[in-house]
Amino acid sequence: MLYLGVSRNFSGACTPLPKRVGAYQQLEPQIVIDTNTNTHPRLEEVRVDMAGMKVDSRPVELLTNVGSCVGICLYDSAHKCGGLAHIMLPHSSLGPLEPLPSKYADTAIPALAAGIRGMTGVEAKLSAKIAGGANMFANTTANGLDIGQKNIKAVRETLALHKIKLVAEDVGGSHGRRISFNLTSGVITIRLHNGETRIL
Amino acid sequence: MSSQTDLKATTTTGQITENDDINLGILLELGSIGAGHAATSLSDVLQEPISIEVPKIHNVKPYLIPQFYNLHDIKTTAILLQLNDKYGCDILLTFEYTEARKIAAMMNMVSSIDELDQTMETSALQELANILIGSFLTSISDFAGVGLMPTTPQTVTDTFDAIIDNFLIKQSMVSDNALIFETRFKRNGEDAKSILMLFPTQELKDLLVEKSKAMAQV
Repeated sequence: MLYLGVSRNFSGACTPLPKRVGAYQQLEPQIVIDTNTNTHPRLEEVRVDMAGMKVDSRPVELLTNVGSCVGICLYDSAHKCGGLAHIMLPHSSLGPLEPLPSKYADTAIPALAAGIRGMTGVEAKLSAKIAGGANMFANTTANGLDIGQKNIKAVRETLALHKIKLVAEDVGGSHGRRISFNLTSGVITIRLHNGETRIL
Repeated sequence: MSSQTDLKATTTTGQITENDDINLGILLELGSIGAGHAATSLSDVLQEPISIEVPKIHNVKPYLIPQFYNLHDIKTTAILLQLNDKYGCDILLTFEYTEARKIAAMMNMVSSIDELDQTMETSALQELANILIGSFLTSISDFAGVGLMPTTPQTVTDTFDAIIDNFLIKQSMVSDNALIFETRFKRNGEDAKSILMLFPTQELKDLLVEKSKAMAQV
């Protein structure tokens, strides 16, 4: 948080500014950067596990960690209802051994959309944000399995197929991502292990 | 709404458990020998007593592994070696980040982790993986009667979940259940916050099953 002209310590107490002594004196703006970014009450965090998905309309943060997997966040901004799916594989044909829709991009997206629409009771327009699809070990592509890229491609294609607009993404690279999906605002915060933060 | 299923895992801890497909007891014995050799090698390098916990074999659905370990956001350093020949296997050695740096400092004979640079740290950890995993592979190789040559180690630091998901994806493409061999090391009697995981391919699993059945009949 940025304060101009007022010095504020971390306990929130204000220090009065010095009195102006001349008409032309310019006060140097005093800039205090409050390093505590949690100025709002923390929302309850709800973890979404690998191959799982959750839909909610309460003011919560849906949370998951992905590497090569992709986190798909669908949001109905009118009803502040959203859902997060943590998919592992692009197509259900790749792992037909057990029926788990949230494991695959092509089945998770319609299931997530149906979950949100079932909760709100209306066919509202949904928007999508996605993150993940990294390749954590650079040389593992040598055996032909760059599953991260395949996941990203399948997610984009499935979203297009279901006419859900992809409004933001943070994908690829060689690092994991911690995804926090704020259902009050629809904002997604991505945190990397080195402390870097990205907002979608 | 949640599509989660209950966390269920079959874990065998140093005891003989038979099932239709695989003699886990023999594999545990094999793992214990490998881990014992690995601990001795590591103890020599670090000049510190290193011991191992009784190894475990988890037979668990791959996507349940992150819940099983519950180390989601823990910053972790992992070293990966792979067998890419006929009998493939991903071998992952993970350390809690600070522990990895402590061990790297000891291997470089510096007194503090602050004296380590990235090259020294990576090099030490790759050497560590070669020592530990080499001991394991020798045991498996002797048992199975095949030569197993690993790739050059790769090191990565990230959160635990992000590191392991690639391997769990690979496992989930071939089987509903992953057979994961796990052992933990203790340094000076304290948990070294380290996990060694082996993700064998179906071919290697089949070979080990075949050999273990043959041994059981002797």
